[in-house]
Amino acid sequence: MLTVEQNNELTQVGPGTPMGELLRRYWYPIAFEQDFDKVPSRSVRLLSEDWTLYKTPSGRYGIIQERCAHRRASMTYGVVHEDGIRCGYHGWKYDVDGQCVEQPAEAENQNFKDRVQMKGGKAQTMGGMVWVYVGPDPAPELPRFDVFVKDGIRDVGYTTIPCNWLQIMENSVDPHHVEWLHGYYFNFVGETNGFEAPKAFQKKHIRTGFDEMEWGILKRRVLEGSTEDGDDWKIGHPLVFPFYMRVGGAYIDQMQIRVPIDDTHTWKLFYSTHNPGETLDVQDRPVVYEYLWKDEEGRFITDYIEGQDIMAWVSQGPITDRTQEHLGRSDAGVALLRKMFKENMRKVAEGEDPIGTIREKHEIINLPCEKDKFGAERTFAAAWIHGGSMRYSPIKEQLLELHERYWAGVEAAEKAGAGA
Amino acid sequence: MTGHLPQDPHLLPAPAEWFAPDAERHYLDRPRFCPMCAASIGEHGGITTEYWTGDTRNFMTWCGECGWFGEVVRFDRVTITEEDH
Repeated sequence: MLTVEQNNELTQVGPGTPMGELLRRYWYPIAFEQDFDKVPSRSVRLLSEDWTLYKTPSGRYGIIQERCAHRRASMTYGVVHEDGIRCGYHGWKYDVDGQCVEQPAEAENQNFKDRVQMKGGKAQTMGGMVWVYVGPDPAPELPRFDVFVKDGIRDVGYTTIPCNWLQIMENSVDPHHVEWLHGYYFNFVGETNGFEAPKAFQKKHIRTGFDEMEWGILKRRVLEGSTEDGDDWKIGHPLVFPFYMRVGGAYIDQMQIRVPIDDTHTWKLFYSTHNPGETLDVQDRPVVYEYLWKDEEGRFITDYIEGQDIMAWVSQGPITDRTQEHLGRSDAGVALLRKMFKENMRKVAEGEDPIGTIREKHEIINLPCEKDKFGAERTFAAAWIHGGSMRYSPIKEQLLELHERYWAGVEAAEKAGAGA
Repeated sequence: MTGHLPQDPHLLPAPAEWFAPDAERHYLDRPRFCPMCAASIGEHGGITTEYWTGDTRNFMTWCGECGWFGEVVRFDRVTITEEDH
């Protein structure tokens, strides 16, 4: 339970707010490269501000505040140059840093343009997505988390959810919801609708643990039937501060991404990389698709894992009223996350880098993650694809075949070894 | 310790809200000062999150001044569960 003031402070992401200033210290994926195949510029919204994201003729990307400093028209309908963008209304041109460099209708010898600076940022690509940084200089390096750069078949589901990003993040440090929402409730939905829910998610928690680590919070669990020697405790998986969760198992590695569009909307992506180890015919770009969470009657779709999560997040309200919550001991991870946000707001206010800032060039950041998830071993891949957002993927059948082929090969090798 | 509710009624849920009394009690009873350095939790960027166990109200507290992180437990009654002996 929090006070109104604390709840506002944790959930408001606009410019000048304490959380907004913290969040502006990080890079965010904001579009896919294929979004620019037909148009050179798009409007995007991030951290409660409207921006124009553009792609130059040579393939570089830029980002600038959407409304022109002249008469506030949209820069998205401007002319993209190699060195910036020009407003379509009166031709004011801005360089890649947002500095006005030309004002065609104004006299050349004035210093008017020198006094006009729009908000801008940095933009670059990684893993088939366009990433932006709209915080103060110097920008940190874009973290090359393993899922985005390792080899594999890439599959990305996305949607926009009408709720604040923080309540989604709190879900990631709330392990008990798995056995209830994805176990008990999923089983109920299955019984009601005539299908069998995956058993892997129905196991009871015996123990949970949280460690603060360099990238966020490492979560561990011991489920019934397992011990602390199992991957779920020995390795665990991290909430990657401030807007990701890294999960995986059975050669599927996934980053769950929650981009704060504004106080009441989040762009929610499941970025999966599949690599069971065989030689793959890897695509140039990830397969991208929108996944569904409401049916034609406006009801939440709750017969798959992420649909159940979305039902919980959205039904908590556009911004969860934490003055009305009643937390228990099992919510200790949620309280720890709130403390981590406050701690890093303070660092930023004092001019320090927050957690997860990386300023050195690097190739890859490998994050700890279970291979044998929930003790489900080889059955986990199919259960996840069938029972998760990947069921909406246009390459769902190929992914299932890929994993079935791999595990069939493993079983054949095991039998041959046993017979030898 | 006595306390008073904020002047502006909009800082708390309206009295008719189902859990308004719980929100009021949290506002009045949460720790205001760090148990280690005595700094004001609110004024130095700290946070306290309340959770319940049985009849007990626990306040997981972080001090923004000295970094102390722990729990402050409010007792209405001190109870001891006897171990087998």
